[in-house]
Amino acid sequence: MSPIIDVEHLNYRYPQQAADQLTLTDISFSVAPGEWVAVVGHNGSGKSTLAKNLNGLLAPESGTITVAGQVLSAETVWDVRRQIGMVFQNPDNQFVGATVEDDVAFSLENQGIPRDEMLTRVAQALKQVNMQDFATREPARLSGGQKQRVALAGMIAARPRILILDEATSMLDPQGRAEVLQTIRAMKANSELTVLSITHDIDEAASANRILVINDGHLEEAGTPAEIFAHGEALINLGLDMPYAERLKAALKRQGVQVPTSYLTEKGMADWLWQLRSNK
Amino acid sequence: MMSKLIFGRFIPGNSVIHRMDPRAKLLLSFYFIGIIFIANNWPTYVVLFAFTFAAIALSGVKWSFFINGVKPLIWLILFTVILQVLFSSGGGQVYWKWGIITISQFGLINGVYIFCRFVLIIFMSTLLTLTTPPLELSDAIEYILMPLKAVRFPVYEVALMLSIALRFVPTLMDETEKIMNAQRARGVDFGEGNIFQQMRAVVPLLIPLFVSSFNRAEDLATAMEARGYQGGEGRSKFRVLKWHNRDTWATVIFVILTGVLVYLRA
Amino acid sequence: MAITFKQVDFTYQPGTPFETKALTDINVTIPTGSYTALIGHTGSGKSTLLQHLNALLKPTKGTVTIGKRVITPETSNKDLKRLRQHVGIVFQFPESQLFEETVAKDIAFGPQNFGKSEAEAMQIAEQMLALVGLDRALLTRSPFDLSGGQMRRVAIAGVLAMQPDVLVLDEPTAGLDPQGRLEMMEMFARLRHERDLTVVLVTHQMDDVANYADNVIVMDRGQVVKTGTPREIFKDPQWLVKHQLGLPKTTAFAHELQAAGWQFKQLPLTEDELAEEIAAQLPPQAFGGDPAK
Repeated sequence: MSPIIDVEHLNYRYPQQAADQLTLTDISFSVAPGEWVAVVGHNGSGKSTLAKNLNGLLAPESGTITVAGQVLSAETVWDVRRQIGMVFQNPDNQFVGATVEDDVAFSLENQGIPRDEMLTRVAQALKQVNMQDFATREPARLSGGQKQRVALAGMIAARPRILILDEATSMLDPQGRAEVLQTIRAMKANSELTVLSITHDIDEAASANRILVINDGHLEEAGTPAEIFAHGEALINLGLDMPYAERLKAALKRQGVQVPTSYLTEKGMADWLWQLRSNK
Repeated sequence: MMSKLIFGRFIPGNSVIHRMDPRAKLLLSFYFIGIIFIANNWPTYVVLFAFTFAAIALSGVKWSFFINGVKPLIWLILFTVILQVLFSSGGGQVYWKWGIITISQFGLINGVYIFCRFVLIIFMSTLLTLTTPPLELSDAIEYILMPLKAVRFPVYEVALMLSIALRFVPTLMDETEKIMNAQRARGVDFGEGNIFQQMRAVVPLLIPLFVSSFNRAEDLATAMEARGYQGGEGRSKFRVLKWHNRDTWATVIFVILTGVLVYLRA
Repeated sequence: MAITFKQVDFTYQPGTPFETKALTDINVTIPTGSYTALIGHTGSGKSTLLQHLNALLKPTKGTVTIGKRVITPETSNKDLKRLRQHVGIVFQFPESQLFEETVAKDIAFGPQNFGKSEAEAMQIAEQMLALVGLDRALLTRSPFDLSGGQMRRVAIAGVLAMQPDVLVLDEPTAGLDPQGRLEMMEMFARLRHERDLTVVLVTHQMDDVANYADNVIVMDRGQVVKTGTPREIFKDPQWLVKHQLGLPKTTAFAHELQAAGWQFKQLPLTEDELAEEIAAQLPPQAFGGDPAK
């Protein structure tokens, strides 16, 4: 199967930067249709810059980006943007519409979709994120999590094939974060959506099929969550929280307990401990 | 502080007045202000008041809102009324005279009329803003401006700007309050001291507010572009205004009102 | 410096059609020297309570005693300034309060408002920058040229510069990456000891409550529903769920282990506590020892 996103030797430099100061250096990777890829790294590592290159919000210095078979260029950029829905960090600063339903319709208006179709698509999308009771509400009266769900409804209505989440849950309280993650999982279950999520959140990263680690503008590592999480205490240097089981493992090690080197889920950890204890 | 202002706030409801087309409401409110000037005797003012009170009653909005709408302007009104009473050249019986100041029967009556006009205008415009969401008003303005497209006036863009501005009013009010609190916690006294001290106190509020507004604007522009916004051309519209029978009837009622006023005026 | 609430009610815009009651009958004390966590889901009244801590808001009923000052609904707005010097508040996303041309001037802004001379304030600024772990080379830079994490530290230095007795932190780690969060929380723990501060932390991060706080106030719907040590608060998971709150990761995992048959002497709050309890129950071979021994 051909990849839905393909990035080859991408270099990016902000206009005010010196010639040898690249924000992204020689990044190459590809994403298969329907895959969920998490991109992790410190604040300032270049993750968001990468995301903005993918839909042409920023133009690379060199390298090629191919999205759904189209090479990104000045001619194809609007087509590419239709394939990609993007949810940003600050829930307030991406809410364009004056009410919930207006905001969901915004992308559809831009595409010139007839009003009758907009009505059905907006209603459907709001139902899918469980915000149908808020259709005529103003954003000022919504929580951060609700606003992000409205942003997701906007994506559902516009039916992109790729969803990019640029730290979409980082400004939310735990409840909002859980709601948004659950909504994304449901969206993925309903369609062959490709998800690229830039995140520090361990639960979000754990939902992915694959994790890309960006450090100082370089793609440092790629692997499954289990492979990446096995780094244990080094994870925090990669801009990720440690999974709880890894934290406990480190603490057990400090107690002198011999712990396995491979990654354990919480369930795996509980089972392993029980076995260890019964092993008298 | 700002929350005490009633004018410009919307009170949700489901009355006939709430459900009217905002274009009808906006145009008829302006029309009403025009026909107030037809009134020139007691019967005409009584009719106008009866009409206004009926409209308010229909809207189901509490009377206190309207009284509160008049309150901030009461000094301006009284000032105008007193000027009118004291300086109208007048006629009828003269009660008191001192230099160019005269209190006459006509002067007093005129003063009362002016007071009535103010109150009627404020009540009607308050009724408009209390029963019409700002967004619908901006839709109505867009529609009314539409003929200007012929002279290449960017109506869609202006309408979108207006709707985004309205949408960010509460956000920026929150932000203002937050920054004020943060600076008060660092020892700033807002609204105290002489004018220079007060002006100085505004700097730590305005600069952060500007910085954050620019950041928001940049984020918003990025988000809009990512969602495929390329300017007003080729867009379809989600919000449409519907002219119902009730709007036609309202117009008819206003025409009848005009007739009645013309008939009753002196 | 202790802060005590007695029968405090607070209503926004009383007497208008937009009247909303935010606090009801609050009776609570923040003891001197404590590290108090204030928790509750969004909209529970935490931020309203927080603004009473330095009289940004005055109660509509009841009294708030801050040190020796008693704030009542009738207290005049004048002369609250001196009080605010003693209770420093770091609001959420405090970097949004920066406004001066240089980092030094911004940090010196607070002390100058409280009567320090420019020279004194500049000296304080220099000390505070070091205290929050930033290089003094930044003093002459514009705060708007710094990274997000650095801006936040400058803003915190600006609050510390008032040399408060109580430091109130409203979700101070929001939006930082995990390493930034950890460094920030460690910094507050260090500052608390170095400067002998009473700390009030408003947070959604139960792990931070478990790791740092010694006193917890739980709010729901404008009321204080529970106060106690973290161990007392976290022992009843059902109760927390009812108030839309979570558990620290360790406590949640410990509850799972208990369900599977483990027993703990006391409820573990941090992974080291849990690891210690677990290690005590493991056979010697788990430590690489010889089972025969």
